[in-house]
Amino acid sequence: MADKLDVKQGTLALMILRTVDVLGPLHGYGIARRIEETSKHRLQLNYGTLYPALLKLEQEGAIKSEWRQSENNRRAKYYALTAMGRKQLERETREWHETADLIAAFLAPKREAK
Amino acid sequence: MKYVRSLLARMTGLFTKDATDDDLRAEMEAHLEMEIAENVRRGMHPDEARRQAILASGGITQATEAVRDQRGLPLIESLGADVKYAFRALRHARGFSAVVVLTLALGIGANTAIFSVIRGVLLKPLPHREGDRLVYLRQSAEIPGGANLAFSVPEVTDLRAGARSLGSIAEYSDWSGILRGRGDPLRVEIGLVTGNYFEVMGLSTVIGRTTGPSDDGSGVPPVMVLTHEFWLKHYAGDPTIVGKQVDLDGNSVTVIGVLQPAPSFPDRIDAFTNMVISPHHLSAQMVQGRSHRMTEVVARLARGATLDGARAEVAGVYERLQREYKDAYNPSLHYRVEVIPFKQALGERARMTLWLLMAAAAFVMIISAANVTNLTLMRGIRRQHELVVRAALGAGIGRLRRLLLVENLMLAVAGAAVGVGVALAGIRLLASLAARYSPRANEITLDSTVLGFTLALSVGVALLLSFATWVPKNGAMGSAIGSGTRRLTASIQKHRVQRILVVAQIAVSVILLAGAGLLTRTLVQLSEVRTGLGTEEVLTMQVPLLNLSTPGAGGDQASWFRAVMQADMQAKGVYEQMRGELAALPGVTAAGVGSSTPLRSSMAAFELKAEGKAVAVGEALPRPDFRTADPHYFDATGIPLLRGRSFVNTDVFGAARVAIINQTLADQLFPGEDPIGKRVAWTGEVLKFSPISPEWRTVVGVIGNTRDGGPEAKPRGVVFMPFAQELSMSGVLIIRTDSNAARLAPAATKIVRRVVPNAPIENVMTIAQIKDERVAPRRLNAVLVSAFGVLAVIIAAVGIAGVLAFSVSARTTEIGIRMSLGADQGRVQRMILGEGGLLLVVGLVLGVAGAFFAARVIQGMLFGVAPHDPATFTGVAIVMAAIGIGACWIPARRASRIDPAITMRAG
Repeated sequence: MADKLDVKQGTLALMILRTVDVLGPLHGYGIARRIEETSKHRLQLNYGTLYPALLKLEQEGAIKSEWRQSENNRRAKYYALTAMGRKQLERETREWHETADLIAAFLAPKREAK
Repeated sequence: MKYVRSLLARMTGLFTKDATDDDLRAEMEAHLEMEIAENVRRGMHPDEARRQAILASGGITQATEAVRDQRGLPLIESLGADVKYAFRALRHARGFSAVVVLTLALGIGANTAIFSVIRGVLLKPLPHREGDRLVYLRQSAEIPGGANLAFSVPEVTDLRAGARSLGSIAEYSDWSGILRGRGDPLRVEIGLVTGNYFEVMGLSTVIGRTTGPSDDGSGVPPVMVLTHEFWLKHYAGDPTIVGKQVDLDGNSVTVIGVLQPAPSFPDRIDAFTNMVISPHHLSAQMVQGRSHRMTEVVARLARGATLDGARAEVAGVYERLQREYKDAYNPSLHYRVEVIPFKQALGERARMTLWLLMAAAAFVMIISAANVTNLTLMRGIRRQHELVVRAALGAGIGRLRRLLLVENLMLAVAGAAVGVGVALAGIRLLASLAARYSPRANEITLDSTVLGFTLALSVGVALLLSFATWVPKNGAMGSAIGSGTRRLTASIQKHRVQRILVVAQIAVSVILLAGAGLLTRTLVQLSEVRTGLGTEEVLTMQVPLLNLSTPGAGGDQASWFRAVMQADMQAKGVYEQMRGELAALPGVTAAGVGSSTPLRSSMAAFELKAEGKAVAVGEALPRPDFRTADPHYFDATGIPLLRGRSFVNTDVFGAARVAIINQTLADQLFPGEDPIGKRVAWTGEVLKFSPISPEWRTVVGVIGNTRDGGPEAKPRGVVFMPFAQELSMSGVLIIRTDSNAARLAPAATKIVRRVVPNAPIENVMTIAQIKDERVAPRRLNAVLVSAFGVLAVIIAAVGIAGVLAFSVSARTTEIGIRMSLGADQGRVQRMILGEGGLLLVVGLVLGVAGAFFAARVIQGMLFGVAPHDPATFTGVAIVMAAIGIGACWIPARRASRIDPAITMRAG
């Protein structure tokens, strides 16, 4: 618990999009649980982080929401990926990989020099 | 695209708040329920499951707030609420709001008013086409009156040929004439100009045409272009005047146009005419005499030429001239020509005064901003509890800052609004002041740039205040709530910013007070300078009867001189008649006539030689004033006769030529000798162009010095000649009374009007009024700076008292404990006084140091008082210390009245 990471600005959107892409339409609780589990509980999302991010993606048209019955017969708001969101996910995934490669390339020589 | 969509969604969000709030609450409740269910499924007790779920949520209220911010446009959305809240908060703190608004209004008002004047007079672009390419040329030399010699025609010709970067050069000389026609005869100031003048100046007419090259030379019809101001004032803006004939000194002149509004320079000009109106300006002597300097020069830089280039070229031309014409440019007198941007030349006289006032106003602004900051800081500390509670209830730090910003903006804008009112009143006062220094005073308005300046000032102040106020830090909230309010407010020792601000206020007040003190002492010194006249109850009036251009205009010089002398003899009879009638008025003790008004400069000054006193090579001849007086003049003006005799009725044309000189000239020409019986004569090249005789004149008397060049100028040499023996040039009537001279004016004017119905009567003033007129600009300076000083001291006193009072209220408990432990009232008072006294002493020391520096800067405006004048500085320090101690006294007394029993219980 001590070394909880802050969610980096911008990366949360990518995580949400990926989660909704993999699991299909999902409610806020489900998205939060999935992200926490995938991060092996190094990330913890409180409402104040999650819901503004969801709203922002919805405003941008990357996801759309709909009230539905949950598996436990509870009403919940489900978020689903839109066509635009799918494109955004692909683009951001590519960009993320490129950035990661770049950073890795930057950090690599130092290790060799040792 | 993404952003447009997002913005649209958020704008919609502004209006659908209620519906979506319900939606969000339901969504988050569902989240919480699912989390609780999951926790229970994992085996938690239901209560523990709920507790854990709520902990993990991180606060539903905060989350709702965060989503709301994302949903709408929070800035706009909450602005209304902020304004409403700020208004309510300020209404609760009426005293605070009033003090802040007033303080700001004074600071902003003073700054706006003075900046308006500076912009109008110094900064605004000229109305002239490409006005920044205009230059004014000034020739100077180290002789009396040599600060601006003007140019002779040969010099202008040489400049035209030699300085090509001055693309075109226009000539201008001032002239004055009597305009007859509509209403009373009127003295008008005329600019005699070359045909290209308006082309060079880049000015055009609103009606009719300007002069052109075809209006140059002799034998052309005289034409006149009216200035806009004169056209409005004298002709009530009548457009039909263009094309009509007017009478100027008996010449019929055609008005050909009305000029666009433009500042007149170097002096007030009512109308321009071509050179043909003045036969003298076209005479051979004028055209050929290299030392006959009567022409002002303006020029327009050639395409691609720079100011520096033009300066270098003009310097080159002058180097050559000084080699070629040794007798016209005595090397020991250092003849030189400056090339000055026209705009700078226009602002020259006003610059120093205006920047002085701007500095004073800026100081007042510093003090008021410091005071407002202090008040806001203290209020902020009192509000800590409120702000902590707000933060705890979900207001973010940003939101709190914004709230404070809105509050401060409202205060600042209110201050600015009242300040603009103050400025509007101030501008009127300042414009009348500026009119004494600058021809551009009528361009002073509260324009949009100045309003922008005001707005920037107030927004700046608001920003400053908002960030000066304490707001709870993220994460520090818990301790803030836990400790309660009282503990948060420490003693004044900890509030370093406030103490620095109080010190700054005191220091700046001292600087302003010292400036005010020095300027006031200067004023006192000036008004104590003896004029040299025996009395002030003397009425003077100028009645010009002679028009130098009228008789025989256009003829050769000799016949012109003869005609002038003849007309002058006739005029002398008329003056004597008026003088006699005025002397018979009840209350009049003496009446005289002369060429000039005492305490005013003479119209003419020429080189003078003394018999048997050869001047060494390279040394300049004295250039005393040329004045005339009748036998009653010295008695009427009260100028004392020190030696010899006054003029008598037998000193007339044909009799032996005599003169009376003043003490300064006597000391200069005949040091250690008796001047009576010595002979002097006018000399120099210029004399050839005037009907003044170069014959020797015997000195028959010596009179005392008078301060004709103003109280700060050293008395100049003066030669008086008998009014009846010399060309009178103009006539001034001097009427001495045994009581109030000003009350005699209507009766005296009536007599003159009856004797000469067609002559203008000018400058009807008593000696007291003339004297007063000379110190008036300085008085206004001293009054304004003193007003700023007093304002500064009041604000600073409020500041120091406020800070101490606050310190006392914050230390109530501490003082209560001290008193219960045995500290008596005196001890507590001394403690608080000591706290204020330290600030006072530091402020005084810094202020005196700053004032020494500031006084050096304004040294040029001082007279008869050293910039480090010990009396002024001591006085200022004592005044400031007394006011400061007084301001400390009130809170100290309050501290000593604290009842330990009450405060301990409350604490």
